[in-house]
Amino acid sequence: MPASLAITVSRLAFLVSVLLILPASGRVNCAGEKVGEKQPVDFALQIRPLLSDACFHCHGPAEEDREADLRLDVKSSLFTPVAEGGIPIVPGKPEQSLIYKRLMTDDPDLQMPPADSGKKLSSEQKELIRRWIAEGANWSQHWAFVPPVRPALPQVKNEQWVQNPIDAFVLHKLEENGLSPAAKADKLRLLRRLYLDLTGLLPSVREIDQYMKDTSGHAYEKKVEELLNSPHYGEKWARHWLDAARYSDSDGFEKDKPRFVWNYRDWVVRSLNRDLPYNQFLIEQLAGDMFEHPTQDQIIATGFLRNSMLNEEGGVDPEQFRMEAMFDRMDAIGKSILGLTIQCCQCHSHKYDPITQTEYYRMFAFINNGYEHNTIVYSPEEELQIAGINGQIREIEAKMKQDLPDWRQRMRQWEQSVKNDQPAWKVLAVKNSTGSNSQRYYTQSDGSILSQGYAPSRFTGQFAVTVDDKKMNAIRLELLVDPRLPANGPGRGLNGMVALSEFKLYVSSAKTPDKKQLVKFVKVTADYGNQPQHLSPDLYMAADGTTGITGPVSFAVDNDNKTAWGIDAGPVLRNQSRKAVFVAEKNFAFPEGTRLEFHLVQMHGGWNSNDNQTLNLGRFRISVTDRKDVVADPVPAAVRKIFEIPPEKRTEQQNETVFSYWRTTVPRWKTENEKIARLWKLHPEGTMQLVMMERTDEPRDTYFLDRGDFLKPKQKVTPGVPSILNPLPKNEPLNRLTFAKWIADRNSPTVARAAVNRAWQAFFGRGIVATSEDLGSQGEAPTHPELLDWLAVELMDNGWSMKKLHRLIVLSATYQQSSKTTPQLLEKDPYNRLLAHGPRFRVDGEIVRDIALSASGLINLQMGGPGVYPPSASFLYLPPASYGYKKWPEELAGNQKYRRALYTFRYRSVPYPVLKNFDTPNGDASCVRRDRSNTPLQALTTMNEKLFLECAQGLALKTIQQGGKKDTDRISFAFRCCLTRSPSKEELKILTDLLNAQRKRIASGEIDAVKLITDEAGNRVVVPPARGKIKDSEMALWTILARVILNLDETICKG
Amino acid sequence: MNCQTYLHRHENPLHRARRWFLQDCAVGLGGIAMADLLGKQAQAKAAAQNPLAPRKPHFAPKAKRVIYLFMAGGPSHLEMFDNKPKLTEYNGKLPPAELMKGYRSAFIMPGATLLGPKFKFAKHGQCGTELSEVLPNMAKVVDEIAIIKSMKTTAFNHAPAQIEMNTGRPQFGRPSMGAWTLYGLGSESQNLPGYVVFSTGTKGPSGGSSNWGSGFLPTTYQGVQFRGSGEPVMYLSNPKGIDTRLQRDSLDAINALNRIQLDQVQDPEIATRINSFEMAFRMQAETPDVVDLNQETKQTLELYGAEPGKPSFANSCLLARRLVEKGTRFVQIFHEAWDQHGGLTAGIRKNCKDTEQACAALIMDLKERGMLDDTLVIWGGEFGRTPMVQGGNDGRDHHPNAFSVWMAGGGIKGGITYGVTDELGFNAVEDIVHTYDLHATILHLLGLDCHNLSVQFQGLDQKLIGVAPARVVTELLA
Repeated sequence: MPASLAITVSRLAFLVSVLLILPASGRVNCAGEKVGEKQPVDFALQIRPLLSDACFHCHGPAEEDREADLRLDVKSSLFTPVAEGGIPIVPGKPEQSLIYKRLMTDDPDLQMPPADSGKKLSSEQKELIRRWIAEGANWSQHWAFVPPVRPALPQVKNEQWVQNPIDAFVLHKLEENGLSPAAKADKLRLLRRLYLDLTGLLPSVREIDQYMKDTSGHAYEKKVEELLNSPHYGEKWARHWLDAARYSDSDGFEKDKPRFVWNYRDWVVRSLNRDLPYNQFLIEQLAGDMFEHPTQDQIIATGFLRNSMLNEEGGVDPEQFRMEAMFDRMDAIGKSILGLTIQCCQCHSHKYDPITQTEYYRMFAFINNGYEHNTIVYSPEEELQIAGINGQIREIEAKMKQDLPDWRQRMRQWEQSVKNDQPAWKVLAVKNSTGSNSQRYYTQSDGSILSQGYAPSRFTGQFAVTVDDKKMNAIRLELLVDPRLPANGPGRGLNGMVALSEFKLYVSSAKTPDKKQLVKFVKVTADYGNQPQHLSPDLYMAADGTTGITGPVSFAVDNDNKTAWGIDAGPVLRNQSRKAVFVAEKNFAFPEGTRLEFHLVQMHGGWNSNDNQTLNLGRFRISVTDRKDVVADPVPAAVRKIFEIPPEKRTEQQNETVFSYWRTTVPRWKTENEKIARLWKLHPEGTMQLVMMERTDEPRDTYFLDRGDFLKPKQKVTPGVPSILNPLPKNEPLNRLTFAKWIADRNSPTVARAAVNRAWQAFFGRGIVATSEDLGSQGEAPTHPELLDWLAVELMDNGWSMKKLHRLIVLSATYQQSSKTTPQLLEKDPYNRLLAHGPRFRVDGEIVRDIALSASGLINLQMGGPGVYPPSASFLYLPPASYGYKKWPEELAGNQKYRRALYTFRYRSVPYPVLKNFDTPNGDASCVRRDRSNTPLQALTTMNEKLFLECAQGLALKTIQQGGKKDTDRISFAFRCCLTRSPSKEELKILTDLLNAQRKRIASGEIDAVKLITDEAGNRVVVPPARGKIKDSEMALWTILARVILNLDETICKG
Repeated sequence: MNCQTYLHRHENPLHRARRWFLQDCAVGLGGIAMADLLGKQAQAKAAAQNPLAPRKPHFAPKAKRVIYLFMAGGPSHLEMFDNKPKLTEYNGKLPPAELMKGYRSAFIMPGATLLGPKFKFAKHGQCGTELSEVLPNMAKVVDEIAIIKSMKTTAFNHAPAQIEMNTGRPQFGRPSMGAWTLYGLGSESQNLPGYVVFSTGTKGPSGGSSNWGSGFLPTTYQGVQFRGSGEPVMYLSNPKGIDTRLQRDSLDAINALNRIQLDQVQDPEIATRINSFEMAFRMQAETPDVVDLNQETKQTLELYGAEPGKPSFANSCLLARRLVEKGTRFVQIFHEAWDQHGGLTAGIRKNCKDTEQACAALIMDLKERGMLDDTLVIWGGEFGRTPMVQGGNDGRDHHPNAFSVWMAGGGIKGGITYGVTDELGFNAVEDIVHTYDLHATILHLLGLDCHNLSVQFQGLDQKLIGVAPARVVTELLA
């Protein structure tokens, strides 16, 4: 066959080869022996996949493309006469079956599949179909849409091999194929496999020795428990889920700004460590925010939905990319939770699985009513601190109340006195008049404007409106909070902050709008302005190296762009609505109508608009009044809102809110108020986290989108689920929480199967269903369908405990087999699908790095926290390699660079090169199965990359210090650090020869020992402790040896 | 996204290893038990299984390799290739309302007026194709190039539009054209990366590394970033203090130890690993040589405007030629500098000064070496620019409805223009070439049928052209 055909091998041809080693006709191998005549054809495994691939595209679930109104994916129409005459399938009678006739005909007009479809069935495949019909055309629903029930354990011959039910299923299949399982793996190879699978780390030499000393007969079982309870278990397994959750520390697209989501990553680690039941794990990620009293963790969990990319490049339409993110969420839910590819239903009904486009948008409707919110979360230490501060404030307030027993009455009187003291303000319907649509502005129902999309960091916003008021004397600018702004705003700055450099108003007659006059303001007030202070140069330095100052509102009218009105009232207090009032020198209305043009100068952001350096107004409203005697209302908007509620209907919380403002107006409490203000300053800052927040004010409607185009909405859809899946719970509100409960329901046909299949994939390198993202009709058939169902039911019966599932797998004899294979076995089952030996494959990219760190002893096992920046190449993060200037502050001080790779900061557009070379996905989309390549770039990485060399130096040092005195002892020690087992004689000889040869070269000066173990500045990178000085030549020699062992295939493989 | 082992399912891992081991692995194989393992019969079959082994295309190709000069940012067709005298006439006027119906723009607001082209055009070459005055060197090779004036795309923001131009769709996650090419054809060189990427200009492309990603194809096919100076490929050089001999000795020890494991556990991936280390070693030897521009004559350096050791677009063009000479299949040079929202006149002038000499030099040089016939050179960005002004009177916004791309060599008919835009350069109106048509044409030149170059992913036959009604623009073919 021409080589090029390798490219286009059709799925059909492939199916045959797969089926040959699969059940039913499982006695047959891929050498091409004929299918045994006596074995009946299995519809689910042999016929449905053929029909799916060859026929469903035109005769399947997608109504819009269905030809001849004939549907072959459902039972009803397969056996019913069709309009043009004939019956698709007549059981027992192939010659009378329309399908078979059309498959066999030579008439090109009638032949199926049609030539232009590109689909073709081989004569063997046609024969299979004939036999299936002849045998009675037994039909069944696609397996994945039938909820799993626990199958009976199969009978096996070699019963004593069976450790637990897993083995019965595996052995049954092996015996069917005339194979027997491999021997149990060597004790130490198995120990290493277990460590890597459960923690992603290597056992230390001491742990190895202890393990070997344990003669209790339960050493392995004890180790399993120990490792399942290790905090590093969560780190290892989190990475698998984070791939599916498309976790990344940056936004993606052009700006690719750093984002704050690491609390979500840590939540995943914590949840796995405490074995949060998988169904609960899913529910919290989809709707933790909607629990009755959600914990902070449950809110953080919704970061799952927020891991979508975000495009804030100049000129984007934010709604377009919100929709892209929604599609991405649906895709992630499909692949990672449902195990179904539903992406195609964006544009049209699924061609192969019975999911319609309408059903897709009905699921979409469940998750479409959220705000993409950035909240502030606190560490446990910070939460303690907060509790302390709150306690003290409450205590002081209680004392105040004791001090004035009639405080309620006084407060009420005060409320009456201020309730109606505000002038009437007329909201101006201003519109962007800048002439540029870079930052997008959306008018809200209260007349305010919300800034979205691209956030320039230094610019002037212009807004204009023409009015016919006859008298205008003052302007009010309100900065408003909004859940779409960071920490609620009111600004677009990192912590919701804002800086207004200048506020200018130009007026002109409506008749001569171009003749503009600048309005002079004579009195300017605000309800708050922070003390004059320099902004942080880290974030807000201008290109000229200067940093702006923020302070009182007068800074916004001082004609100085370096000073701005700032409202940073410190932690928590900064994120509230504020207002300023600008009183003009004189009435600025023109009798014939007035055009007002506001210039909102915002020149306090930093120079780098590809970073989070903006301080833009987030949501704001501009109003006008004819009165001159006005000042900014000191009463907070939130308090005024409570005034509208009759006192008897207010909650205690609302009363406290009113009190906490009112007390500040009481002169006799000056000291107490200052005390409280000081306490607020001590409040921890916390960390930002992207979360989902349900919209309650204005629920968002969802529409069926024509071809998935958000500009072409058709009919409105209500929330709902595909009819092929489990039904929705009855009498529950149609919201995201119900959706979450529905998806994690025991009756779901795919969710538990998808979960156990991926766990299997992680242990064995390949799922029971190889296409772990697609259990649907185009997915690959399960190699061990009964085992898959048994495990799925077992997971659910065990309270969805992942740890119990993992324990079961590692305790099976199947898992504990040696990974040695044979040429015969390779020929027969190259992918080891039948599991006639144990798994062996190169570990994931993160673990490649972790192995080197762990073997060398350099590893820093600190858990959690913001992403870290191990050595990289600085040019990658700077133009012209990167679009924007990205931060990569290599943490040379301390040992942060030796943290596990899970914590390496992940930019989507510039992935960390070491991880990228080892197939680590960058989070562009949900990934439930990684590629596992084997390339020269990987060899270059482990041989030459800086940190890998440091690991060699670290291992050298450790070997010299702990490995004994003799060369052979030391070699064995270093070998065991990497490979757990001891070297064979032959291996020892190769390494000894290398050592001797290089020792000579070092002694002769051919190899510069100092150069090898020092950095560019000539300092030893891995510094030996002062006592017992180690010679440079010795360090260099053992570095050479360690580097070789660290580069072995076995070192980066799990086997 | 690197997310797919599934697609290797057509590939027997054993065969993959066999071929590499037998044909590429330079280490002595004496005495290893591989002879049994690697049945002779399987060898021929296995030859097709090395993911980077050269493969025959679907049909006889015109082009064997591609150099894609990607002008990121959206170069203005109106200032370079698409002469619109009427636009001068209508300068300052509002565009016709019917053109603006349903038009979505990035930055400009309704009410933006038309802006006349900034440069003079003149006819050049025997073909008499019009080029603007900022392309004096391209004028000398105009008889070699085919200009498509009727390009059209769907996205009007940089990152999505670049991703569409390179991967077929504006959404992230799909394989790039270079990855598809390697998937289809493999690489002629086993010592150099098959797909090399340079980043020049003022910054990196908006779409980031996904522009040269492998999507759901094996990661082996993703582009490898080369630098214009210093270490050309990351981790190519030995660490400090490790000389070539030590590297070789270390490698020999590693390979010997790996072979013992191969004997014991018989996992073919170990054979592949041995081979990868050998290839890495050869790459270390060969790459510095390939990127050494000092080996070029003064005349050649001057032709391109290249200076050894000084990273530039010109240097990258010359390196591209050196790489394809050595068998690299696909070279892509990004020059991100073409986003002229303002400073249009000076910006275009500068960009042309920085690039067009080298573009022309590349064509001349390839021709002189007899390589132009089977090397396809592509020049173009992700979209064009609005006939309407942005800002004062010297800027244009993003514009997906019409833009220009040129191609040369590799089976392209030189000296022609194809497609027409309306009198304002607003819409492509005749012989429209959508991004997917361009993709189909490029694949066709490489001997690949765009409808057949596919891979199974998520239950579908995925293609570069997706489900679009792509056509090969036969009018462009020589």
